[in-house]
Amino acid sequence: MPTIIVCLKYAVDVTQIKVELATRKLIITSVPRKISDFDKNALEEAVKIKEKFGGEVIALTLTTEDASSALREALAIGADKAFLIKDPLLKDGDAFITASILAKAIKKINKFDLIICGEASIDSYSAQVGPRLGEILGLPVISYVRKLSLENNVVVAERGLEDCSETVRAQLPVLITVTKEINVPRVPTLMDVIKASKKQIVTWSLSDLGVPAEEVRAAIEVLDVSAPRVERKKVKLEGENAKEVAEKVVKALIQEGLLKL
Amino acid sequence: MGFDFSETEEQKLLVKNVKEWCQRNLTAERVREMDDKGHPYPKDIVEGLGRLGAIMGTVPQEHGGLGLDWKTQCLIAEVIGYYDPTIATAAGFMAVETGWGFTINRYCSETVREKYIKPAIRGEKFVGIATTEPVGGSDVAGHKTTAKKEGDEWVLNGEKTFISGTEECKLWGGGYWVNARTGPLIPEAPHRNMTAFFVPIDADGVEVVEPYRDAGRMAISTGGFVLKNVRIPDEYRLGEVGKGFYYTMEGFDNARIMIAASCVGVIKRILDEAIPYIKERKVFGWPLAKYEAIQFEVAEIYMEMEALRLMTLKAAWMQDIRYQEEGMPVKVSEAKTFKPTEIAKWISMAKWKGPSLALQAAEKAMIWLGAAGYTKEYLFEAAWRGVMSYVVGAEGGLNIQKIVVVRELLGREFMPYK
Repeated sequence: MPTIIVCLKYAVDVTQIKVELATRKLIITSVPRKISDFDKNALEEAVKIKEKFGGEVIALTLTTEDASSALREALAIGADKAFLIKDPLLKDGDAFITASILAKAIKKINKFDLIICGEASIDSYSAQVGPRLGEILGLPVISYVRKLSLENNVVVAERGLEDCSETVRAQLPVLITVTKEINVPRVPTLMDVIKASKKQIVTWSLSDLGVPAEEVRAAIEVLDVSAPRVERKKVKLEGENAKEVAEKVVKALIQEGLLKL
Repeated sequence: MGFDFSETEEQKLLVKNVKEWCQRNLTAERVREMDDKGHPYPKDIVEGLGRLGAIMGTVPQEHGGLGLDWKTQCLIAEVIGYYDPTIATAAGFMAVETGWGFTINRYCSETVREKYIKPAIRGEKFVGIATTEPVGGSDVAGHKTTAKKEGDEWVLNGEKTFISGTEECKLWGGGYWVNARTGPLIPEAPHRNMTAFFVPIDADGVEVVEPYRDAGRMAISTGGFVLKNVRIPDEYRLGEVGKGFYYTMEGFDNARIMIAASCVGVIKRILDEAIPYIKERKVFGWPLAKYEAIQFEVAEIYMEMEALRLMTLKAAWMQDIRYQEEGMPVKVSEAKTFKPTEIAKWISMAKWKGPSLALQAAEKAMIWLGAAGYTKEYLFEAAWRGVMSYVVGAEGGLNIQKIVVVRELLGREFMPYK
């Protein structure tokens, strides 16, 4: 009966980000946050494994703000317990710091067979936290998993790579990152939501994990974040009839490299 | 200190999940298909709603429900109305099943609960209300159906018409709350000697008639049935003998508040569909949204919708206080009781305003959008046809709600009837 830790990012809901037209700066203040999409796939997979083999699912998140609503949702989906690492010092964190602190929290939890992360977060999309966490904990890492099974403490994972797939095996404990193809996250029942309010959320600060302030200074300096400028080409294709116009469209798409014949 | 309009973390998560479920299952395309195809209501959707826990959430947990308060159930009904603005889903499973099913559960035996209420909560069977008779609907005390006690059974005779969900009930199994006269008619107090029963649709002597061809809320049927010497065990009686009228008034309150809440959702959907269109569509060089004639109507509908929502949630809060005294797990800020007629007044105001405003919003949106609004590309016309059912009569028509309100304001002695 495995104990599975799922790392969840309390990410910015990117569908609600607005862009300042003149400067192309992103307006993210007051944009709502949610469990990062791929992390929800990770949680769903963990809950499916628990439903099949028993065991325990632990949700873990790291944030500067109160993410208890997201963790409550994770508990409704099927996590048994949740840990919230909350500290204002985390505001300047990068992927390395995030992975380091998650590793310290996981060591403090001191109980896991499998760690599942999303392939990346929906907002910063570095795809680094999962592999870095595996490295720090000295675990085998299987990334971009789109199909997973577990038999006799061995995971069999199908990895979705750009132009092929790869099936690998690894003995537990192991860390995997999952893609959205792996499952469709469930909508918890309303009874699950009610039961979730009785489950435990443990909150730790960085000092609870013994992390001094100087260890949370990012090694990466972000100079600028702005939305790409997308200019329309404003090309008008005209012709005598639909066939002629269609041919021109095909030719234009080939020229742009968008179509191969 | 007594006012707090915030939603709890749990309420927000419950609503979020109902929204997510509806986004997957009650898509605009599916709702259009349901409206085009007509009844019976799709079983996969009702079973999904049942698994989700959206039906009869206010029934206590030990009886198979969630033990929600009415405020939370209203928030759920808003979402259901939003995603199915034809109001078929809200009519069948918020007003009828949640409103009346909850009330049946309060007065039914364990047998009825196990055989009908719990399966209906799971979306497997259908339970409903059959008050209306050929002589009329809202004049409950004037109904003609009778029940006579014979040994441990009651023998019912009568006719019920304009009943929601008869085809679904016949198909899935289930039954109806039926009032019948069990004692002599007392001219000065005709509401006395009415008793409520739960009548299974498949009981011997129940003849279901052909459903009506409704104008709207097409996905749920409206029909009727004749009761010919239908023998019902005494354990299918709801509550005490002779109290049926009072229970019915309570049931109306529970159903009407669901309709008001659903209409908040319908109106919100109408605005959410219409506003992007009027911002985009240009007429004489300007977007429609720049014309004050349209702007002011948008503002009016929005303001009225928020007023409706406040009125509905206040009525729900009063309901919660009413039921808290009977052990329902609700939290209210102050211990206060209200007369049932005072609660009924607030609920009737919301039921009066909800469907009328939704009708008006749908009509306005169709006019704002012009020819596009008149097509079936949008759900405005389906919403218009659907909510009209609650203006003309279902769960008490517009004028009945006015009677309930004014009776509380002026006193029963000023009513032209007993």
